[in-house]
Amino acid sequence: MFSPLDQFETISLFSLAAPILGNFNIALTNLGFYCFLVFVIIFGFHVISNNNLALVPSHYSIALESFFASIANMVRSQIGENKEIYLPFVYSLFLFILVSNLVSNVPYNFAVTSSAIVCLGLSVTIFLSVTILALTKHGIKFFSFFVPSGCPLALVPLLVLIELISYFARSVSLGLRLFANIVAGHTLLAILSSFLIKLFSTSILVFFVTLIPFALFTAIIGLEIAVSFIQAFVFSLLVCSYIKDAEYLH
Amino acid sequence: MSSKQPPAERASELIESVPASNIVSKTGAIVLGTGLAATAISQELYVVNEETVILAGFAILATIIARSAHGPYSEWARGQIDKIKGILNQSRAEHTQAVKDRINSVEQMKDVVGLTKGLFALSKETVQLEAEIFEQRQRVAMAAELKSVLDSWVRYEQQAKEAEQAELAKSVIDKVLKSLSDERAQKDILLSAVTEVEQLVKNKAI
Repeated sequence: MFSPLDQFETISLFSLAAPILGNFNIALTNLGFYCFLVFVIIFGFHVISNNNLALVPSHYSIALESFFASIANMVRSQIGENKEIYLPFVYSLFLFILVSNLVSNVPYNFAVTSSAIVCLGLSVTIFLSVTILALTKHGIKFFSFFVPSGCPLALVPLLVLIELISYFARSVSLGLRLFANIVAGHTLLAILSSFLIKLFSTSILVFFVTLIPFALFTAIIGLEIAVSFIQAFVFSLLVCSYIKDAEYLH
Repeated sequence: MSSKQPPAERASELIESVPASNIVSKTGAIVLGTGLAATAISQELYVVNEETVILAGFAILATIIARSAHGPYSEWARGQIDKIKGILNQSRAEHTQAVKDRINSVEQMKDVVGLTKGLFALSKETVQLEAEIFEQRQRVAMAAELKSVLDSWVRYEQQAKEAEQAELAKSVIDKVLKSLSDERAQKDILLSAVTEVEQLVKNKAI
């Protein structure tokens, strides 16, 4: 029976098992394959946009330069003018999430960002890295981040607890937001398409009537494409915000 | 937009979009495509399911986005490219002008080598003349010094000679006066004078 959640299942495309080292098994899953595909697309886009290092840009390179300028602008405005050291990381992160989301919008393709492991792995890794960065940069002063300035002494234990929970919640919320949006969008499309295919196959008359909800469905696909951009942007923006907190504490 | 396009033109455009060179091969391509699609579906090589609906929707949306975004994007990109080209061309022109200006400014100094050589020769000559003047001045100063030393020497010799002569005359006079004051000498002189007078008388000179 068809389930809208089947599309998110990670399956092994190719595996190599050997009865050594505790039944050693290495597998290429659809998740791994699509991660590699995303890398190839990003790399290919950069190769095409390289434009043979010509000074006058092509139509492709101007698109890439615009992307880069937008991310650079975001990093400068969020973290600081002199903090462009984080630009390559944020740029790579943005492109990875964006291309993963866009690839998943193409039918018959797997959504890398619908994997909780990928999204939470990214967010937890970023959370840990940002915490290590803050501790390295500020040492013991980092813990002042959990005490809001000017709060009464009696409220400090409670506020520290709230701030601490809110801080640790970042590690989950960052990835969960992306994961939930992509899974919800793709599930909605799968459910709607299962209704539509039944309507289309009923009769000729219903087929033509179904074109009206189909137009709405197409608009929802457009919305999903917009969500792909928005989620990539939100994820990158929040990472910039967390890095800024680590850099300046408050 | 294509909504204002006449139907005949739209139809011919659709036929043109089929990948083949002439109308016969275009028809063949359409028939082959339809046949292959029908075969794939009937043989279950391709199963029409929920994903097909998403594929249709995505294809329509992708076409709409591509068609609506292509024109404005191309225009914007061309504008950006033209802007960059303009900046580069302007920079090239400014650089060429700067090089030309530099050439012109350097050209004004083309005689600078000859002029410098002349000035150097002149300064060399001036230095030589100054050296000669200095030498002559030294000589004049030397001669003046010598003359003054010699004059002083001559004056000293003169004075010494005069002093010696005065001393001699004084000693002679003193001696004469001393001898005159001696009685024997006075007697001798008187006797000599008497003798001379007698002699003169004898000779009848007086």
